[in-house]
Amino acid sequence: MATKQEYSQRNVEEYFVTDEPFYVPTSDEIEIFESAYRQRVPILLKGPTGTGKTRFVEHMAWRLSEGLSPRSPGEASLNGKGERLPLVTVACHEDLTASDLVGRYLLDAEGTRWIDGPLTRAVKAGGICYLDEIVEARKDTTVIIHPLTDHRRTLTIDKLGTVINAADGFLLVVSYNPGYQNALKDLKHSTRQRFIALEFDFPDEEREAIIIAHESGCDPDIAAQLARLGVKIRNLREHGLEEGASTRMLIYAGRLIKEGVSHRRACQVSVTWGITDDPQVQRSIDEVVTSIFA
Amino acid sequence: MTGSDNSQQSAVELARQELAQFPAPVLQRYEDALEKLTGRLAEETCQQWAYEGLEIARKTVRSWEAAAEYFDASVAVQRQLPSGQFLKWAKTGTSLCADSPSLSVAYFKSSPKAMLRLRPRYIDDWANVCRALYRGTWKSSALSCRLFEATPELLETLSFEEFCHFGEFLEILSRRSYDQAGDALSAGIDLFPKITGDVDRFIGLAQIVAEKSWRETAVLFDSATASLIELGTTHRAPLIGLARRLVITGVSDAAGILKDGANTVNRVPSETRDRLLEMTDSIAAVSAPAAPEFLRIVPDVLERVTFDQMGKWQSEGIQIARDSDEAAVAYFRLESPRSQEMLDSLSSSIELNRVHDVIQMYCLALTGRSIDVQAAQQLADKNIGWFQGELPTTEGTTIYMPSVINRYTTKEENFGFFKVISTHQVGHIEFGSFIFDFNLPSGMFDDLRPRLPGAKELRAAKAAEEAAQAAKKKSPVVIFGNETPIEPGPAESEATLESVEIKKPEFLTDMSRFFDLFAERRLALDVFTVLESSRIDGHVAALYPGIMKMYNVVRAAALEVRPDVTDLPAREALVEFMIRVSLGQVDDMLVPSEHKEAARKVRRLIRMVTSVETTVEDAAEAAIRAYSILVDIKNDELDDDDFEQLEPEEENDESGESDDEDVIDAEDVIRQFMGQSSPDGESDDENDDVPRDNDPGEEGEQDYSSPQDVDYRGEFKPELSQLLSQMQLMESGELSEGGEMEPITQEQLEEMMKNAPEMELDQTEGDENADKQVSEMLENLMKELQKRDPENQQFQPGPMQHVDEDGGPLSATEPDTFTYPEWDFRANEYKPNWCMIHEKIMSDGEPHFFRETLAENSSLVAQIKKQFELVIPEMYRKQKRLEDGEEFDLDAVLEALIDLRVGVTPDEKLFWRRNKNERSVAVAFLLDLSASTAEAIDEAKKPSDDWGAPDDPVEYMVWLRSRRSEGLRRTYKRIVDVEKEGITLLVNSLEELGDTYGIFGFSGYGRENVEFYTIKDLDEKFTEKVPRRIDRIAPLHATRMGPAIRHTIAKLEEVEARSRFLFLISDGRPQDRGYSREGVEKEYAVHDTRQSLIEARQAGITPFCLTVDKAGHDYMKTMMDDFSYEVLPDISLLPKRLPQLYRNLTT
Repeated sequence: MATKQEYSQRNVEEYFVTDEPFYVPTSDEIEIFESAYRQRVPILLKGPTGTGKTRFVEHMAWRLSEGLSPRSPGEASLNGKGERLPLVTVACHEDLTASDLVGRYLLDAEGTRWIDGPLTRAVKAGGICYLDEIVEARKDTTVIIHPLTDHRRTLTIDKLGTVINAADGFLLVVSYNPGYQNALKDLKHSTRQRFIALEFDFPDEEREAIIIAHESGCDPDIAAQLARLGVKIRNLREHGLEEGASTRMLIYAGRLIKEGVSHRRACQVSVTWGITDDPQVQRSIDEVVTSIFA
Repeated sequence: MTGSDNSQQSAVELARQELAQFPAPVLQRYEDALEKLTGRLAEETCQQWAYEGLEIARKTVRSWEAAAEYFDASVAVQRQLPSGQFLKWAKTGTSLCADSPSLSVAYFKSSPKAMLRLRPRYIDDWANVCRALYRGTWKSSALSCRLFEATPELLETLSFEEFCHFGEFLEILSRRSYDQAGDALSAGIDLFPKITGDVDRFIGLAQIVAEKSWRETAVLFDSATASLIELGTTHRAPLIGLARRLVITGVSDAAGILKDGANTVNRVPSETRDRLLEMTDSIAAVSAPAAPEFLRIVPDVLERVTFDQMGKWQSEGIQIARDSDEAAVAYFRLESPRSQEMLDSLSSSIELNRVHDVIQMYCLALTGRSIDVQAAQQLADKNIGWFQGELPTTEGTTIYMPSVINRYTTKEENFGFFKVISTHQVGHIEFGSFIFDFNLPSGMFDDLRPRLPGAKELRAAKAAEEAAQAAKKKSPVVIFGNETPIEPGPAESEATLESVEIKKPEFLTDMSRFFDLFAERRLALDVFTVLESSRIDGHVAALYPGIMKMYNVVRAAALEVRPDVTDLPAREALVEFMIRVSLGQVDDMLVPSEHKEAARKVRRLIRMVTSVETTVEDAAEAAIRAYSILVDIKNDELDDDDFEQLEPEEENDESGESDDEDVIDAEDVIRQFMGQSSPDGESDDENDDVPRDNDPGEEGEQDYSSPQDVDYRGEFKPELSQLLSQMQLMESGELSEGGEMEPITQEQLEEMMKNAPEMELDQTEGDENADKQVSEMLENLMKELQKRDPENQQFQPGPMQHVDEDGGPLSATEPDTFTYPEWDFRANEYKPNWCMIHEKIMSDGEPHFFRETLAENSSLVAQIKKQFELVIPEMYRKQKRLEDGEEFDLDAVLEALIDLRVGVTPDEKLFWRRNKNERSVAVAFLLDLSASTAEAIDEAKKPSDDWGAPDDPVEYMVWLRSRRSEGLRRTYKRIVDVEKEGITLLVNSLEELGDTYGIFGFSGYGRENVEFYTIKDLDEKFTEKVPRRIDRIAPLHATRMGPAIRHTIAKLEEVEARSRFLFLISDGRPQDRGYSREGVEKEYAVHDTRQSLIEARQAGITPFCLTVDKAGHDYMKTMMDDFSYEVLPDISLLPKRLPQLYRNLTT
């Protein structure tokens, strides 16, 4: 980068995606998302890690923002104000409670002060609230989101004793990783049936090569080889690997290669060692790497 | 006969008179001998001779026989002995006769021949040596006699001194056993002539053995006969000397030393043999017991290292030998870790066993399919059409490799070779050699396949034509047949039908259909093999540039061993040329001058299929073209000067390629194929212009024979492989077209085998051996196919008793029987008391299984243990938000204070506490023991981590040895065995965790016979009985899950535990007679099972189902909806996965 990037800070509901995030669609997911947004139907993104779920949401937030300012004279802007669409992302983890999403009282000098949680902010600002890896969150959070996902579009805040009707632009998007056939961490039906679902998988070899080349800036031939490596490693899923190599890993390898790290070494540090600790599997992946890369 | 001297006269006469009293032959022989001796012997001597004879005869009752022999032998003996010695000879005989007339008989009998070899002065000694064996018994006399009799033969090779030693040895041995001594005598007679020069040494050894452990002498002679003879004279002496030294020090197995020693010496290069024996000697000097071990292991060691490297390994061993004999023995048996490590570090060879898992996973990564990796020998042993045990190959689902690679000097290169061959073999799978589709168009060539006539088609057409003609002859009758009394028979009408429609010939595989196009199938196969292999190589080069360095090394090596083109007849020379082109040879390309243009064309074809976009169909089309070129070339013997260099290809003739897309004119090819003779050689009258290939009448023309295999490409058998892999492909849905394939019949298979060029069958009819071979192979192949047919893997019902389906409720009157209701989903209600459980305690088996499983999986055991240990700290975790506890939870207090200020009711859970979350888990494992668990899983399909091959070198060698000693016996495992293994490993760890658990199995037939086996009850302690019962787990009958689950629930309900689990391990959907209504409504069983699981949940039990049924996903969704389950992709993962699941589930 030529110019040094200074850090910037803003409130979550003021985060807009301003530059177009690179995204290569694998099918009609963009159209579906747009249609769903127009109808304010909540969306569930399923897929293994590194298949571009988060990137897709970013891309859509940007794309919809572009579309927010009316494209044709007759068309009403999406949120009615002609503003960009905020994107509030919450990465869920196992200790994430409902109040982490909704908000809580804090102590300060004069007494207590209510602070809105990210979900509340998104509801008020009328943006997309993206709950990443929703299954990881505690069960009580899912109850909170139910009224937001049906015709009510409301958020109840117990502690305040208030109900918020969501702003027009608000949409809930959640993602989860169905994972390794393990039903232990699964979404309840009462939750999952409130969303339309978009399934994500790794892009095909050509698309992935394009993505790698774009994201890492490496040579297209290298990108093609990395993409091939990705395909081969994913063949090992459920036979020693719990997850396939994510596109992200391959991009990292591409970046290192661009920096002059030898191909094999770059793959080793960014793919092989990252993906597994099993020496046997590592060795096998190494062999695939040395077959593909001269 | 006239003598002057009275006294002389008297002795001779006296003898004559006296001998007359004995049986007639005595006198007769006396007279004969006397006649011949008179005149040759001095008179006095003659008298004495006669007198001695008389003495002998008089000795005992039976001694006249000896006398007769004496007279008989005298003539011959006298010729060789001076008279003094002659009489001494006679006297010796007389004294022998005093001991035993039999000895004397034997002595005299063998004398004439023995005297040819024996110095006269040794006569006495000789007699004494033999007589020493005599101890007054019948057996000893027989032995002694045998030695007399054997003397002439023995003396042919033995010096007298050696003979005496041998006699001494026999004497020593005979003290123990006359039989052994007798055997040794016979063996010696055979052996000695073959080891002349070392006889004395050997006898010395034998003598020591006879003294130390006489029982082993027989084995010693056996092994000496077997091994010493083979051994060159130079190394015989040192080896015997070595054995002798070792025997003296107490290593008693002289025979083994000779055998192993000879075997080993013969297997090492001659220049190293001396050193080898020296090395053994130096080991013997330090540790006698280790030396034989060394001799024995040397061939194994040399398979992995060079001789010099072995020297280093040996000197290391000597160091160890100084410590203790045990250590030395272990070292030289390759059983000690140090020995193994040392060898590993010296060795550059790679054993398949060691890299099996890596290669298997590598292949999986490349293809995305579970590819098995096995030693090539295993495929050859199956005897289904592959014969080479050393060459790599594949049959579409498994790749076969040499069991050890020792071609290069470094480990890296040897592994590289493994990688090259696996990449190539797996390339056939990855790039679709076996999904050849006859009808799929080629992207590169105009499709000739549909336009060419197949042999079968031709035959069918011909038959149809004939039938039509036959029908035509009769047709007038039919047409005008309104009044004719003759009705057309069924045969005619059929023939008429046939004439209208030529029956389409059927083929088992598209590949068979393809090869049916060719008259010269062998040539077609060879050409196709080269082209297809080139195509694979081309793909590899394009997609895996990283491996090309090694690939090229291997290809260059393959080129080096190719036969000289100029030695081959014309057509073979061109096929060889193709192979060379495909291996990347560019320069120095000799081709027959006459056929330069043909060579150019086939080279073009190879280049074309080597580009990356090609498919197997392209290779097939190319093969048609190459074949049509080559089939025209006579296979004539050529002289060296009939060959010419072919100019290298022009680099940029790309433009030319696009101009004329086909290398040769398609119409020409078709014309030529139309004219080709059928393979049966039936009709070739219309195509005289086409040269016949196997016509021996033409001079100089040779029968065509296939080129030598290229080592890294191995045996390529497209037809068989396609046939074998079809099954699997169909299962995985990749072969949609043949979705509903008819079951293959024996006849079809036989026909395919007869026609397939790759089967290499001797076509000579009537040859019994060949026929037998064919039928054996056929049988094996049928079996193999059945094994692969997914249809066959379905449940097969066990012996069924009469089951009352429509009867009423049952009642449990007998002890240990329980009744349970069953859910009828159609009626949406329970059928009360519908099923009867018979609870039994599993009988006791052997405890080995449990122990061995733990030992075999020691690394996994350790891993599971580690996992389970992690569970324990989890129990001590800090627990937050409790109503009371050790201390305030600061976060919670803060929140509560805020709530208070705001005026909201604060949460009361303000405390945290440790160590209160006591683990209270009860789990019941319910094993499916249905008959289908008897299904074999392939041994080679091990889990990705090869638990079978221990990491520990000692164990590894033991394992390796046992595998070797088992030879090629296939060990196969059943699903139930894997279930057992899984349970064993889990039980072992569960004991550490302290959870309450029970193990139950269920099976049965019909609703009144649901068998429920207790292997370990929930409240039962783990006693030595449990491993015994686990051993008895075996496949039984059907799978009625519902009642078994209900019974388990009942058991779990009696146990007090905070969390209770029911862990169901099954291999397929529930089925039983009457459990699915004649198989029409499979849902019945599924719904009942589901209902029982719901009951479990209502009882506060968490059910979990683990299945290994590949088709599990479909019905499991229904059955387990809302419940947790897992479908294992590979049964062999079970032992590893089970503890993981258990841990996840219960924490």
